[in-house]
Amino acid sequence: MFSKRNLITYAIAFVFILLLNFLLPRMMPGDPLMAIYGDEALIAMTPELEAELVERFALDQPLWQQLGAYFVALFQGELGYSYYYNAPVLSVILGRLPWTLLLVGTSLLLSTMLGIVLGIESGWRRGSRTDRTLLAGLMSLNGFPDFFLGMLLLIAFGVVLGVFPLAGALTPYSGLSGLALLWDVLRHLFLPVAALTLAHLGSSYLLTRNTMITVLKEPYMLTAKAKGLSPRLLKYRHAGRNSMLPVVTQTGIWMGRVVTGTLFVELVFAYPGIGYLTYEALLARDYPIIQGVFLMVAISVLAANFLIDLSYPKLDPRVSYAY
Amino acid sequence: MHIDLKREIKESGAGKTGLIILLLMIAIALAAPILAPYDPYQQSTASLLSPSWSHWLGTNHVGQDIWSRLVFGARTSLLVGFGVGILATLLGTLFGVSAALVGGFYEKVVMRIVDAFIVIPMVIVIILISAYIRPGILTLILLLSLLSWQGGARIMRAQALSLKERGHVAAAKSFGANRFYLAWRHIVPDLGPILLVEFIYGVRRAVFMEAGLAFLGISDPTVVSWGMMMRDALSFSYLNVWQWWLVPTGVALSLIIIGLAFIGHAAEPVIEPRLRGVAIA
Amino acid sequence: MTKEVLNLVPKLLIPAVIVVVLLAFPSCTAGTPEVSSYTIADSTGDWGYPSPYAHYSRGPGYVRMSFIFETLVWKDTSGFVPQLAEEWEYIAEENAYIFELRNDVTWHDGTKFTADDVVFTFDYTQQHPYQWVDNSIVESAEAIDEYTIKLYLSKNYAPFFQDIAGVQPILPRHIWEGIEEPEKFAAPEAVIGTGPYLLADNSKEHGSYLYKAYEDYYLGTPIVDEIKFVRVSEEMIPAALQEGSIDAGDIPPEVVSEMEEAGLAVITAPVAWNAKLTINHHQDPLSSRQFRQALAYAIDREALVQITQRGHALAGSPGMIPPTSGWYNPDTPQYEYDPAQAIRLLEELGYELEDGYFTKDGEVLELELLATADFKEVGQFIKQQLEEAGIKIDFRTLEAKTVDTKVEAWDFDLAVYGHGGLYEPSFLKTVIIDEGFKSARYTSNETLNQLIEAQLTEMDADQRAELIFHIQEVYAQDLPALTLYYPKWYWAHDGTVNLFYTMDGIAIGIPIPLNRMAFVE
Repeated sequence: MFSKRNLITYAIAFVFILLLNFLLPRMMPGDPLMAIYGDEALIAMTPELEAELVERFALDQPLWQQLGAYFVALFQGELGYSYYYNAPVLSVILGRLPWTLLLVGTSLLLSTMLGIVLGIESGWRRGSRTDRTLLAGLMSLNGFPDFFLGMLLLIAFGVVLGVFPLAGALTPYSGLSGLALLWDVLRHLFLPVAALTLAHLGSSYLLTRNTMITVLKEPYMLTAKAKGLSPRLLKYRHAGRNSMLPVVTQTGIWMGRVVTGTLFVELVFAYPGIGYLTYEALLARDYPIIQGVFLMVAISVLAANFLIDLSYPKLDPRVSYAY
Repeated sequence: MHIDLKREIKESGAGKTGLIILLLMIAIALAAPILAPYDPYQQSTASLLSPSWSHWLGTNHVGQDIWSRLVFGARTSLLVGFGVGILATLLGTLFGVSAALVGGFYEKVVMRIVDAFIVIPMVIVIILISAYIRPGILTLILLLSLLSWQGGARIMRAQALSLKERGHVAAAKSFGANRFYLAWRHIVPDLGPILLVEFIYGVRRAVFMEAGLAFLGISDPTVVSWGMMMRDALSFSYLNVWQWWLVPTGVALSLIIIGLAFIGHAAEPVIEPRLRGVAIA
Repeated sequence: MTKEVLNLVPKLLIPAVIVVVLLAFPSCTAGTPEVSSYTIADSTGDWGYPSPYAHYSRGPGYVRMSFIFETLVWKDTSGFVPQLAEEWEYIAEENAYIFELRNDVTWHDGTKFTADDVVFTFDYTQQHPYQWVDNSIVESAEAIDEYTIKLYLSKNYAPFFQDIAGVQPILPRHIWEGIEEPEKFAAPEAVIGTGPYLLADNSKEHGSYLYKAYEDYYLGTPIVDEIKFVRVSEEMIPAALQEGSIDAGDIPPEVVSEMEEAGLAVITAPVAWNAKLTINHHQDPLSSRQFRQALAYAIDREALVQITQRGHALAGSPGMIPPTSGWYNPDTPQYEYDPAQAIRLLEELGYELEDGYFTKDGEVLELELLATADFKEVGQFIKQQLEEAGIKIDFRTLEAKTVDTKVEAWDFDLAVYGHGGLYEPSFLKTVIIDEGFKSARYTSNETLNQLIEAQLTEMDADQRAELIFHIQEVYAQDLPALTLYYPKWYWAHDGTVNLFYTMDGIAIGIPIPLNRMAFVE
């Protein structure tokens, strides 16, 4: 079911992304320079700068030459300049990245681990009441959009009960350090991570459970059972390990989903990561930032998938024989 | 070898529940004009009211009746959901089956493109495009379909490939049937169950995407959408209104998604028979 | 042994008592901060690095910079007050201003402030204009002596104080001389000013600023030792105020009474902003004045305020200047809601009602209404009202950029827009005659044009008021654009600092109650 995608696939995806980034602003009505740089540029740019940028991006030339200029700029690492933030796009993005990584990393880890364990247990007890309850419960949970979950958690725990902070990643200028600072960060992290984890728990759970059910029918499981192995060993060492494989390979695709899930959750909690940055940029129509984030995220997801594809043969030795 | 999809779904508890939910939502959407006591667009000074007999779910910040907007919002979700579901499944089948039957270079090209699009995170692409052109409903359906048919194509191709080797297909071929005939009369009918499952998951994805985009505020605000309602409700979360504004809307949205997920889940053993308790001969 | 100890006791006792007394009683040294920390919240947070060339070009950006950099004159609740300039004089014959500067001001790095810095600022901004000030009217700046400067203007300019002298931040010559790219200058020296606060920290991603009091400030050490600007989302500000994690912030109108019950002080901003219906008067049928007047009669601005703004706004005056302003002409035609009158006017123009809509020569009268998503409710309301009056409306919400482009190219019928700056009537020129999509670009009425130009150069306040009254009448008759409403804005704070709204807004007209003088005693 999981074919190995070769390099050409990724190349096509990469090119599509770049072309999209290139074409969109140039298809908008009005001055393409303003479309590329957004509203704020209208106010901030001097005529000399405008002229320089028109030349650099060959905006008065036919589309072919523009494409060339675009690629040249890109490979020089030039992601553009945001007039709204008054800083190079790359530095703005890098400043926010750590918070998103913290959020995404923690919730991806938690939801995958928890999902796998629950999936294994559920699959093992397939048909029992535990299984059916877990199944119904997690499938229902899966249906809740992450922004809805985030809002419910924020209102319930932040506004009504007041046990968690209402916004941000930490309390600014609180003068905290060391353990106290860590505690502050964790308190601010709790609700967003909870929302993201709950929203994506279902996917890894369902996949693991399905794979577990399939694996349990394999002859080698019967053998292991006949050998008299304990349920725990059977579940985790034998069946579990094989059930995990699809989850690992799917993680690449989920990364894309979780990152966009982060967009909604960060927005609800005003968490200063890439997601919130994207939302701010959307409001201000700061196209350089929007494009910069898009490029970065799309390429990261591609890279992650590629790496996972590379490592798959190592995880599942059966696959490598096919090549 | 025919698998009775309808029976699969009806016999599964989850499937039944999901079906009921979905049918209920469709009924509500269709009956919206009857169920809604007010015009969902009618603004009034009666803003931010709590639920009462005249306004079952109270009113929003411009005095619109929330219940009326809720039932009309079902239309938007289902319209986009089914629109994308149909279009994406159609495209996926078209390209998947043709790739399997034609083979050769064509197949290679199509499958490379399909794989490429599968790795690209769709949500971000949609957001990027929406930032430039605020899509209306039809444009949105088109956009979402164009970016989601690829998943189904893979599965269709795999199925078509295996079906190609079946006895009746080989027989038809030996009688001189051309590719179109084979596709239309022999392969596609047997794709039925899988098509449906793909369709259902497609609808589910589209419903979520439409709400998410509306929540971000980049879809058409003149259309009544649950996502937009939740966004508006969020900006008033310091008042009590969220209880009857945010929660019912979010629950309605979640219900549709859950219902579709249940149906899809019940139908899954069709594709992967080992998931069922009984092994197929 | 004991004897020595006993001998020591009196010697130790007295210093000990003195120490205890000093510790127990509040210090009598002048200017000890009474409030150690004050937290202000806003929903955007990041408004740029607070140097004059790096802050974002919106009001809050200027405000953050204004705690560090000062101007020649400033304002309080009633008018202009001295700041870096103690006294000033206008010399009509030479069309020049003389400013006597304070001699006790120091820059944050200790250097003395002199007339040199002011002259330098006006020269430097000729090549590197400060984003908010159009200094072109200042022909030259001359230092008469170490603490006196003279500014020569190229022509009469009535709003000189509101637009220039009270806005232009004065730059330290010893730092900015030679800086070729002021926008990129983000070194710590870039935020050395004369103001009561220093920038201690600024984080873009958290949208936060930390200001520390400048102890050698010439008016005495500021009351508040530390000011923190933090980002809290709009919906959460009321809750944060109630729990005390922030001390001041802007609040939505719905929670005003709740805040007051919680013991917070709520202040209202004098009207500063208006939403208006921009009309394409270059093409039919909107080129007819009577048609535009019909539109005004058909839109019930009172109801608009009640419904779309839940009552938290003032209905718009067709003369644009708000009723709360000192420049308001009470005799401005108001076009009270009268849909029957609107229908009459349209019928006079040759339109006939058919199936509820007006038609002429067989074609249904249909207009396109554009708006951005923020104005979706307003647009919806206008559509309903105009359709009730028989005009079919195609309402579309588009991206701000797209609307701007279409309006600029005259590719629209009606559009909903908003802008601020309503304090100083010099804005009348900007939004009626000047180019740009926020302007009505209405130049066909010669009388109006002359009046608008005249009021800018009329230095006598009463004469100027007469001109402005007249402008409102003419403008309201011609209606190149229809002002819809003025929103009401509120701030809540815990009372430790006496926040106030500056007369006619901070500097050029920023309706935010964060006047640096509130933090100084």
